[in-house]
Amino acid sequence: MSRLAARWRGLRRFLAEAGEGVRIALLSLTGARLRSFLTTLGIVIGVMTVIAIVAIIDGLNASFAAQVGGLGANTLYVSKWKWMTTSEDWWSIRNRKDMGKAELEAVIREATLAAAVAPFVSLDAALTSEQAEVNRVRVRGTNQDYLLANGGSVGSGRFLTEPDVELSRSVLVLGPNVADRLFPGVTHDEVVGRRVRVQGRPFTVIGVLARRGRLMGLDLDTEASLPWTTFLRDLGAKRTISIAVAAPPGQVQALEDQLVGILRRVRRVPPGKPDDFSVNRQEQFLRIYNQLTGALYGVAVGVGLITLLVGGIGIMNIMLVSVTERTREIGVRRALGARRRTILLQFLIESSLVAALGGAIGTALGFGVALLVDLTTPLAAAVTPGAVALGLGFSAGVGLLFGSWPAWRAAHLDPVEALRYE
Amino acid sequence: MSDALISIDRLCRHYVVGGEMVRALDGVSFDIAQGEWVAIVGQSGSGKSTLMNLLGCLDTATSGTYRLNGADVETLSDDQLADLRNKEIGFVFQTFQLLGRASALANVELPLVYRGVPRRERRALAEQALRSVGLANRMHHKPNELSGGQRQRVAVARALVGQPSILLADEPTGNLDSQTGEEIVRLFGELHQRGHTIILVTHEPRLAARCPRAIRLMDGRVLGDGPGAEVAALQAPRAVGT
Repeated sequence: MSRLAARWRGLRRFLAEAGEGVRIALLSLTGARLRSFLTTLGIVIGVMTVIAIVAIIDGLNASFAAQVGGLGANTLYVSKWKWMTTSEDWWSIRNRKDMGKAELEAVIREATLAAAVAPFVSLDAALTSEQAEVNRVRVRGTNQDYLLANGGSVGSGRFLTEPDVELSRSVLVLGPNVADRLFPGVTHDEVVGRRVRVQGRPFTVIGVLARRGRLMGLDLDTEASLPWTTFLRDLGAKRTISIAVAAPPGQVQALEDQLVGILRRVRRVPPGKPDDFSVNRQEQFLRIYNQLTGALYGVAVGVGLITLLVGGIGIMNIMLVSVTERTREIGVRRALGARRRTILLQFLIESSLVAALGGAIGTALGFGVALLVDLTTPLAAAVTPGAVALGLGFSAGVGLLFGSWPAWRAAHLDPVEALRYE
Repeated sequence: MSDALISIDRLCRHYVVGGEMVRALDGVSFDIAQGEWVAIVGQSGSGKSTLMNLLGCLDTATSGTYRLNGADVETLSDDQLADLRNKEIGFVFQTFQLLGRASALANVELPLVYRGVPRRERRALAEQALRSVGLANRMHHKPNELSGGQRQRVAVARALVGQPSILLADEPTGNLDSQTGEEIVRLFGELHQRGHTIILVTHEPRLAARCPRAIRLMDGRVLGDGPGAEVAALQAPRAVGT
């Protein structure tokens, strides 16, 4: 019973001391506002940097994942080109045979696992209407499966159909930006049916795509699609074709094996020789992207940590000054019965409160910066609870860490000397 | 003698300053009983400050023993000394030593904070202590809004609030004009009447003369111990050659 009573007394005493510690800390914070602000500035900047950069990267990740996800996680891209190449590979890949009609027809005919097969062949060209000319539009030859394999949807009119492709019709589906610029002030519904020239050849607009936005600064809405057969006939037959092939869920690997077999046969690759084509996946994109942002993350967190370190040293410095200034006060408290750990607690509370306050301000500012970036640039920014917790936790930790040496000094002052201190 | 509140025996406190041994206190012995009002008087360098630090459990002796209310002070840890100061000793300092940013009430509450007394009880006790020193209408003033005499009264209230065994006052009138000093001395007189044990450390023989008992220190030794008026009148032996 008496042990329990002692525990209870100890707890009560601790609570009273902690309460006093918080009260003193608040008094000294509000008593020297400018100094508190300057002390905590390093922490504010550090936390702000981390929160803002992490928010921007998180936002980037989210939009990238959404956009790339639109390409279809289960879509394979068969091409002469390999997406991620080293410079040594480049010449050998460049010298590969172009892909053409034969490969596409073989894939359409024989790839039994494919859910959708869409060819790609593209160039940047100028488009003209009666009112306007738009330069550098990505013009793509493809087929009716394009939206299925690549993502996107129709806003007005219709997309390409099988007959369009088979009959090599001179029809065109415009991206919304192209429609806006070719026909200023005309609604997309009214754009359908109008005439557009691509490299001088006339086309009829049959549809306008819904807006997709931007992907890492890339404008996805400045493009135009036409039947690949028409493309090869009118805009150049010598271009190499890529083929997007969508697999049913869970069959990506099986589809890849099937595609490799078909292509090796069609392209007459002798057994034992390496493939003279590549089967690309958007995963490769993601992997490179993640490496990139991972490095960026690391740099941002590193910079933030260094700033926090500098902020921590600032806190340590000001706490040492504070201990010196309050030497007599410490002596008085010790004389009145404060134990060493009471003094220690008091100064630790003060330093972590200063730092946590800085962390809170930094978090708020980081939010603001992220919001500003979100509103004024194409980059999306998203502040996650994890980032906030990280910022606050780190700053309070920094306060504790860098406050502990001054607090220890305060706690180990000789009461007699401290009382006599002038 | 064994029921004395304070019992010190051959107490020594030596310092090493600049490689030289300084015997600030060199074998001091006396007892103080419950309810006594004792002056410890001596010139600067006599060892009275050192003795006060030892009696106040702020410092520990080099040798000798100090028993305070039954506890062997020499054997206690730093934490135990802090608890002992909190429970047994009420300090009154020459320079008041009030916390400038805290109100009179908060200053007086402080010893109770370190004892873990709940807030409401703490407040009530502090108010009572302030009333007992005549500061009922100054409780929420900060020290810089109070006169010197009022500040010292706050300090006395702070010393009394925890109901310690001893009131240990170090030159309590040293920073006050003679009239306010007189008020404080009278306050001590009242407290003595009420049964408090008071130890008053001073360099002024006139002040010591007003205490029922005085202990005169010189060069770290007891020169005289007896009724205040007699001890205060003691002349220090003249140094050879002057």
